[in-house]
Amino acid sequence: MVNKVAITGIGIVAPSGIGRRQFWANIKAGRSFVKKITRFEATKYPSHIAGQIDELEKYGNISERLLKKMDAFSHMALIASELALEDAGIDIKKEDPNLVGIFLGNAIGGWLYAETELRDLYIEGREGVSPYMASAWFPAAPQGQVSIYYGIKGFSKTVVADRASSLQALGYARKTLAKGKLNMILAGGMEAPVTPYALLCCNTYGGLSQDNEHPEQAYRPFDRKRSGFVIGEGAGIVVLESQERARARQAKIYACISGYGTSCDGKDRISPDKDSAELTRAIRMALQDANCPPAEIDYISLDGVAMDIWDRTEIDAIKQVFGARSKEIPLSCPKSMFGNLLGASGAIDMIITVLAMEHSLLPPTINLDEPDFSGFNFVTKEARPQEIRKALIISRGRGGINSALVVEKA
Amino acid sequence: METKEKIRDILVQLLKVKPEELKDDVTLIDGIGVDSTEMVEAVIALEKAFATKLSPKEITKNSTINEIAQIINSKIG
Repeated sequence: MVNKVAITGIGIVAPSGIGRRQFWANIKAGRSFVKKITRFEATKYPSHIAGQIDELEKYGNISERLLKKMDAFSHMALIASELALEDAGIDIKKEDPNLVGIFLGNAIGGWLYAETELRDLYIEGREGVSPYMASAWFPAAPQGQVSIYYGIKGFSKTVVADRASSLQALGYARKTLAKGKLNMILAGGMEAPVTPYALLCCNTYGGLSQDNEHPEQAYRPFDRKRSGFVIGEGAGIVVLESQERARARQAKIYACISGYGTSCDGKDRISPDKDSAELTRAIRMALQDANCPPAEIDYISLDGVAMDIWDRTEIDAIKQVFGARSKEIPLSCPKSMFGNLLGASGAIDMIITVLAMEHSLLPPTINLDEPDFSGFNFVTKEARPQEIRKALIISRGRGGINSALVVEKA
Repeated sequence: METKEKIRDILVQLLKVKPEELKDDVTLIDGIGVDSTEMVEAVIALEKAFATKLSPKEITKNSTINEIAQIINSKIG
């Protein structure tokens, strides 16, 4: 079995930028893209700030005829797929369609489309509902749209595992490629939660920052004054293939995914387990899978929900795995700049980590002015130069879903 | 407006296709590669526009604009 899988193309659609160059320029500078929500009247919601993407229709080459049949989250997935394939230099028409797969993750589905149509259902009756509703809202819709758009016919999967969805999708994709079942996979995730109903659910959950007057400072993971996260929308999709194939076609290999681990707390419907045992086990599983001793990890991308128990248990798990070194390893949570993309967050974190490796710059956490955990090597404010050979990415979902991925330089 | 012209306008507006792709004697599947969900939407829109009941069995992917106009004209007299 091939253990390491090459990342050869990056497609990113995020509040901080569309396309990896614009995105990375904003990440390394530590710029915030969290703003008051302008898409709809949101001021009555306790939290009404988010990382939004405006004028999505300006990007990509998708026809109006197709666009009217899909929710924003599928649109984002299509743009990110197009960017990833272009970046990888892959002409999908020349691939064997049976040996190309798609592995995507998201947590909530396409609510902007669903909400509009449900309103019409109650006002106009069933004839008021668009027939596309049936295929637009559900979580596997982006997988379907991307597969139809590119004629992809290989084994594919949509993962729904709350905020850990896309990191899990990447883990499954690597495993599938490692078994030699496919030639290449488009893997990652997308989420579009900036809609009235989705925002309401996120508010009801109670994990959102209500610092509406200071959107740019609202998301402050691991800070003493943290008060929850901020939602964001977007998609992060990469091209994965075996290193042999990537080398044979002389592709640029950004980095390799070398290990993955996942576990469930099995304790509470929402909160993580207080003793971090299962998160610790997931991280150890990923390191073991990567054949990587804890001493070799030189950057950790944090999940950083910015709620007391989540941040505390994440730091606890790092302490348990890395011991004395846990205070030396650079840690950061770049999503503080553009919001938590829920089911797409893990894929975006992996993309940032891979770009950080490429540029030998540690990406920052913003708003981490007074760390609540003393003595840790948090990267704050702006990017800091350092070579990264092996990195760990942590992504967690409600109800105790733990995922960890190891990426390393090719 | 002639029934055919009205049908063409509705389909162009609804399905976001070009008017020249909808020729009078070419089926919807051959002309614009219409899919089944688009057909559901098209039948509902035509029913509303002509204030008449149409069955999805009468108007299908294999209908041409000429045929659709004939069916509608026979109903609205």
